[in-house]
Amino acid sequence: MSEAASTSGPGVSVEIDDIQSGALHARPSPYVGRFFLLRIDDRHAGRAMLGRMLPATEGGLPTVNPDQGAWVTVALTFQGLRALGVPQESLDSFPPEFQQGMAARAEHLGDTGESDPAQWEKPFGTPDVHMGIVALAPDAERLQKALEHERAALQETPGVEIIWQQEVHQLPGGRTSFGFRDGISHPGIEGVGSGTNPHEAPLKAGEFILGYPDETGNLPPMPQPEVLGRNGTYLAVRKLHTKVAAWRQYLRSNSSSPEEEGLLGAKMVGRWPSGAPLTLSPDHDDEALGADPHRNNAFGYKENDDRGLKCPAGAHIRRINPRDATIVGATRLHRIIRRGTSYGPPLPEGVLEDDGADRGLIGVFIGAHLDRQFEFIKSEWVEDGNFIGFSGEKDPVAGHHDGTGTMTVPAKPVRRRLQNLPSFVVTRGGEYCFLPSLSALRWLSELKG
Amino acid sequence: MTTEQGTTQSGQPKRPGLTKGVCSEFTILANIKPGQAEAMRAAIAAVSSEENEPASRAALQEIGTLHDARHVIFDSDTRYLFASVFDGSWDTYIDDFAKTAIGANLDRIFSNAEGFPGIKDPTVKDWVAAHQASALGFATSYPDLTVQQIWKDQRANQAFQEVLDTSEFRAALDNPANAALLATPAFQKLLDQAQG
Ligand code: HEM
Repeated sequence: MSEAASTSGPGVSVEIDDIQSGALHARPSPYVGRFFLLRIDDRHAGRAMLGRMLPATEGGLPTVNPDQGAWVTVALTFQGLRALGVPQESLDSFPPEFQQGMAARAEHLGDTGESDPAQWEKPFGTPDVHMGIVALAPDAERLQKALEHERAALQETPGVEIIWQQEVHQLPGGRTSFGFRDGISHPGIEGVGSGTNPHEAPLKAGEFILGYPDETGNLPPMPQPEVLGRNGTYLAVRKLHTKVAAWRQYLRSNSSSPEEEGLLGAKMVGRWPSGAPLTLSPDHDDEALGADPHRNNAFGYKENDDRGLKCPAGAHIRRINPRDATIVGATRLHRIIRRGTSYGPPLPEGVLEDDGADRGLIGVFIGAHLDRQFEFIKSEWVEDGNFIGFSGEKDPVAGHHDGTGTMTVPAKPVRRRLQNLPSFVVTRGGEYCFLPSLSALRWLSELKG
Repeated sequence: MTTEQGTTQSGQPKRPGLTKGVCSEFTILANIKPGQAEAMRAAIAAVSSEENEPASRAALQEIGTLHDARHVIFDSDTRYLFASVFDGSWDTYIDDFAKTAIGANLDRIFSNAEGFPGIKDPTVKDWVAAHQASALGFATSYPDLTVQQIWKDQRANQAFQEVLDTSEFRAALDNPANAALLATPAFQKLLDQAQG
């Protein structure tokens, strides 16, 4: 299907200052951070905690360079909203998939086998997870400062308890544990800011923020009352363990030289380790291109590579954002904002044996429609390939494979078909969270009864 | 292969409709608005006419998941039936669908049915679910093939038949240099198909 044109002009005025900063701007680079999950044992304590967190929770776009500041984001699960004593009719106004929670959606999301919620790291997937707090900063010192406030708030609030935390940090060169640079591609939002791909028109604000028209021309379904829903959005948070040794072994045993190994990895990701996209540099990595923010995301697929001879249609970045390529469906209805952060030590270069360390990323996927953004992307684009004409083929990087996965890599004269793909990623846990606006946080903190 | 009750693809309540392999059947039964049967008939005729065939083909290409679809008006112009078979589950792609030419056609036809809110209306899913009648039985001869695969198979077979028509291919089969290729089980399967 063709790219859907925007139906209204960029005249929407978005109340940016009411939206939590964590939803709007890219993380600093480099970064250090900490994820917390909390349980609210007493609704009055939970409300008081939110009230104490408010002064530390920033709204709007950063007035300074994101690399300068530090910020804290506060989100709530459905169970958390309930624990705060949000009225039933308001709880009922949340979308069903959010009410059910990510663990209940496991089959639809491909979280089976090793990734089954029964295997998840506790407390993920249990009704104990109520609140999520993320603190991100350019360095440890500023992170500590950002966390001071949270610590004080917690100390003053018995009845709210930290039940899980995870430290995250940028790996050298901004790369993920597999060795590929991340955090390059971001969509633009009308009335908020431009994206990193000049060939993609900014998306309607309602794709990412509740209370504004979306790409269908409608207002996204919004939880009630208005003060609770408006300027909020949803997060799908996932702890994704990466099997780096298995990844390296797969590349090694399916190529006959280091050059071939490099190309094979790039065909699976869609970018070279430096971040240079295959579409612009099909045969070799190009460090300068990878590092150039004006060029490293400035491309489409249709005009020069609709068949995928440069970047396979099945590559991670092309599946997960097909841009203008010919697919089943309309890409603009399935875009997402990503805030991926790495955890764990890198596996030293050249090591092919697993060292048992837990490493991977905490993926945060942001959008106003969990069902037609995160859930659609994961089930239709990551766990199936019919939309690109390869029914049953999954994302070679992020897909849940059972050792029999295949990937078609278009080539002349004959395509290559990768066989026996195992899973390189295991879901260790995940939660759907609601990211309230600042006014909604205040409203929640002032709930009565 | 068993026929299953369609599993829901969104967080919505379970949808009616039977699923077999990759395909689902989808049947809508609705009352026609009083006096609107002629308008509905005209809207159906407009998209089903001979002249409209190229546009209709292009629209199906655009969707890429619809196996077939039919429109029936019955009970003395008071009732309408839409029956189709497609890949996956309808609600996954309904928003995408609304943006296509077929979506626009269906919008024109369905707007003559009672209560239809319009294909772009956010409540359209509820209307569809309320008017969907699950089949009691559903059979398909190719439960494992999506529309995308059928098209690909057709293109591949057409190309294969053209190769068989060339004298160069016959000569290559007789060429001893190709003996090793001919002896592979995979190529034997291809030659089996080449016999007719
Ligand atoms: C551990 C698993 C994953 C790894 C290692 C990974 C890695 C990467 C890398 C290296 C990039 C290229 C950098 C960029 O374009 O910004 C990327 C892009 C992207 N990833 Fe992932 N990813 C993972 C899982 C996921 C999942 C589960 C999703 C969504 C459901 C996702 C969504 C995206 C999106 C939307 C892009 C941007 C594509 C584009 O706009 O071209 N990723 N990922």
